[in-house]
Amino acid sequence: MALTRRDLLKLAGAASTSGPLGALAPFFRPAGSGAAAERKLVTCCGICDSVCGMVATVRDGVLTFLEGLEGDFSGGGGLCGKGASGAGQLYDPDRLKYPMKRTNPNKGLEEDPGWVRISWEEALDTIAEKFRAALEQFGQESLLFVTRPAPDIWMRFMNAVGVVNRVDHLDECYLTDRVIQRYTTGGKSWCNDFENAKYILLFGWDLLAKTKLVYANGIVQAKDNGAKVVCFNPQYSATARFADEWYPIRPGSDLAVALAMINVIVSENLFNREFVDQYTNFRQYESQIREHFKRYTPEWAAAESDVPADAIQRIAREFATRGPAIAPAHKKSLCANYANATQLVHAISILNLLAGTIDRPGGRYFARTIPIPTIDQIVPPPAYPAKRGRRVDGKDRLPLVLEDGGGLFSTLADGLLNKYPGMIQAAFFNNYTILGFPHPERMAKALATIPFLVVMDFLPTDTALLADIVLPSSIYLESNDLVPREYSAKRPQVVVRQAVVPAMFETRSIGWVALELGKRLAPDYFKNPDGTWISLSAVLDEKVRRAGLANSFAEFREIGMVTREQPFVPRTTFNVPGGKCQIYVPQFAERGGEPLPVWRPKREQPSPEYPYYYLTFIPAVHRRNTTQNNRILNEMFPTNAANMHPLLATRIGVKEGQKVRIRSRVGAIELPAHLTETLRPDCVLVAHGFGHRSRYLNTAGGKGARDSDLIPDQTIEEMVAAGNFAGAASIMDAVVNVQAV
Amino acid sequence: MSYGWLFDSKRCIECRACEAACKQWNRVDTGWNVRYRPVRVWETGTFPNLRTQALSMACNHCENPLCLKVCPVKAIWRRDDGIVLIDQDRCVGCRFCTKFCPYDAPQFHAGRKKMEKCTMCADRIDQGMQPACAAICPTGALRWGEWNQIAGAGVAQVESFSEPALTRPRIRFVNTPWGTR
Repeated sequence: MALTRRDLLKLAGAASTSGPLGALAPFFRPAGSGAAAERKLVTCCGICDSVCGMVATVRDGVLTFLEGLEGDFSGGGGLCGKGASGAGQLYDPDRLKYPMKRTNPNKGLEEDPGWVRISWEEALDTIAEKFRAALEQFGQESLLFVTRPAPDIWMRFMNAVGVVNRVDHLDECYLTDRVIQRYTTGGKSWCNDFENAKYILLFGWDLLAKTKLVYANGIVQAKDNGAKVVCFNPQYSATARFADEWYPIRPGSDLAVALAMINVIVSENLFNREFVDQYTNFRQYESQIREHFKRYTPEWAAAESDVPADAIQRIAREFATRGPAIAPAHKKSLCANYANATQLVHAISILNLLAGTIDRPGGRYFARTIPIPTIDQIVPPPAYPAKRGRRVDGKDRLPLVLEDGGGLFSTLADGLLNKYPGMIQAAFFNNYTILGFPHPERMAKALATIPFLVVMDFLPTDTALLADIVLPSSIYLESNDLVPREYSAKRPQVVVRQAVVPAMFETRSIGWVALELGKRLAPDYFKNPDGTWISLSAVLDEKVRRAGLANSFAEFREIGMVTREQPFVPRTTFNVPGGKCQIYVPQFAERGGEPLPVWRPKREQPSPEYPYYYLTFIPAVHRRNTTQNNRILNEMFPTNAANMHPLLATRIGVKEGQKVRIRSRVGAIELPAHLTETLRPDCVLVAHGFGHRSRYLNTAGGKGARDSDLIPDQTIEEMVAAGNFAGAASIMDAVVNVQAV
Repeated sequence: MSYGWLFDSKRCIECRACEAACKQWNRVDTGWNVRYRPVRVWETGTFPNLRTQALSMACNHCENPLCLKVCPVKAIWRRDDGIVLIDQDRCVGCRFCTKFCPYDAPQFHAGRKKMEKCTMCADRIDQGMQPACAAICPTGALRWGEWNQIAGAGVAQVESFSEPALTRPRIRFVNTPWGTR
């Protein structure tokens, strides 16, 4: 029997059953019916980067239900648990409600900030005054913005002020991938044609466990279409469950396996000759390439990785010949964040090139999108000031990273405390918390050295406790925007993001803050040609018009989603130097790296003092450290534990639920042990996102421990010395000791 | 006519959308650990030869509901279409039902001192919609439909699922491998 979703809908439609609602139990309130003013609004999720389309039901001004959007590419008509729990974010009773300033001059996580409410006017005036003073006295380098590079008006503000130090979490995420792709394939790497793939090779890639639906749906489709999935991961993850073969690889040794596979494919000439000859620089550097990889034999890789040599050899052959094959990269998923991630991502890129599936069916696509103009295209700004000054995160030491817009979380504490103490005079944290940094305790100390700290967030996070001024942020369900989809080559899609309810309390968007601070600090950049102030809604209307979506945002709200199906035309020139994909990358050699990936062991190896590998993961129902206070999600996954194999538990003498102390060279945490067969016996695995300490977080506060307390932050010199030229934060790279408490 | 669930464990990504949608639609209180549809993951085998299996489990609206039989105040009743419901006015929160339920479906709300459970979103069904959990499931792991269509599908029992002969639950499990839809 094959019941499809549509069949069931039909069935349900035909079933006009008995039981008038009045006969039901009284607690049972029929949410979907009734005469009350009910509206259904198309919008999209903002919890993770899958940005799935949603339909929000709003009754009498209250968001009552979120469901998937039929025809949406990302969610495929469904939502995940996080997306479905959006109301728990919106109506979190702990939300920051109005601007506040601290009255206690002593800063620390254990200090009560002594917050008092202030007006937006006072908050913005104070921020503008402090930032201006810092700029005038200490120059551009004295301002630190810890924020993602969006929205565009916020970037315009930072450009107008001449901010040198914008830092984001990219080194913990896909910075390595972005740097490597720029020179190997010339495009973004997060659009995969899983649907048509026949062979999928996953090096620690675990986006199913993070329930990024655009990927989860893709893997499910691939499996339906008969694809073979091979997974290397020390943990039998939710993604591993979808694999035909799972190898509990030794942490940090994915690179060895990838190098050996390249060796097999190259030495046996199994690569896709047509693609490799025509679209890569293989022939130009053939002798170097062949010579380079010869040393990485399957037997050698087996000794490094615990993956049998014959399996490495067979999988390499299958990958090259049973395609279309793809090895997705992108995102902090285990292997992408050891200190050797740069080399690993390069090796994965080479594997895809050898399979010949870059921008080919069943491989990695370059997304085709519906272009949406930026604010700078709509209202061209005066020339931005030149940026002068030192990078507090030291990324100017990594030329390939410097070219990229992203910053380094992992070196920021060292920059603030040791490299450039006193350089940063004022800082603005936008929706990031210290929990997201390696070694947050040290980060908190570093932040306390900044004379003036602004934190904008939707919750009173641990970081907010350190702020001089706290700004309450609206969230995605209160925002208007256009969300382009960068996940499809055949079905470019734009979905509306609209405020399904008005912004709660006195919360505001970062775009609004950009405009208001802009008026105070760089007014020339926030005016229309006729001298009036830029209007956010007018710009949005113009974006809608120029993108050809509708005549106004109000009109597009009603339309909700636009899809422009287009035939797929594979790319024949690539956006890399020379126009051909590069296996051998001469620019790496010129800019502090190596032209071909070389074997480097991970940063930290087990020792008598720290005998176990330390791994972290993000549980399916949480997004990084931002959803633990969501009462719906917290109930499903309220706290973290020290996951370990029963053999390890026996060795240290603990039973299920007993408290253990995990210690690394930088910190220690205590958690109850959870015994599982799904993990290598030489590893300890802890969920990220817990250990919030803010007393103002009534649901998440005090629950669990900070996984990142055990992860060392790094210095830029360490990164350079480790050959970490594409900038991995190495947040998966720690070893620990575990003992019963 | 009656309805049932069809669950395909291999498609489940453990995202808990089913539970979240259920909580939203049915206004289930948070903070009391009242969970109509938890997703549990079972491990079988030993490292490295192991397997995990996810089960999204709510009330299975059994044909022979023990909960209904043991309820001392007759608070539990069954609609003509087989949906088993708890009358909140009658329920005294004695928890007999949950002791006898093989699936831990009835949940005790310690604040209200009442039992609650999955209603199969009877109100949605009455409006021609699917239950919220099945409607939101992104991968099609959890499906819902007419029981006479589902009864012949898959198998009656999987590992970690209680013996179905006892209560005749309205759930079946897809056990075919990938690619054999």
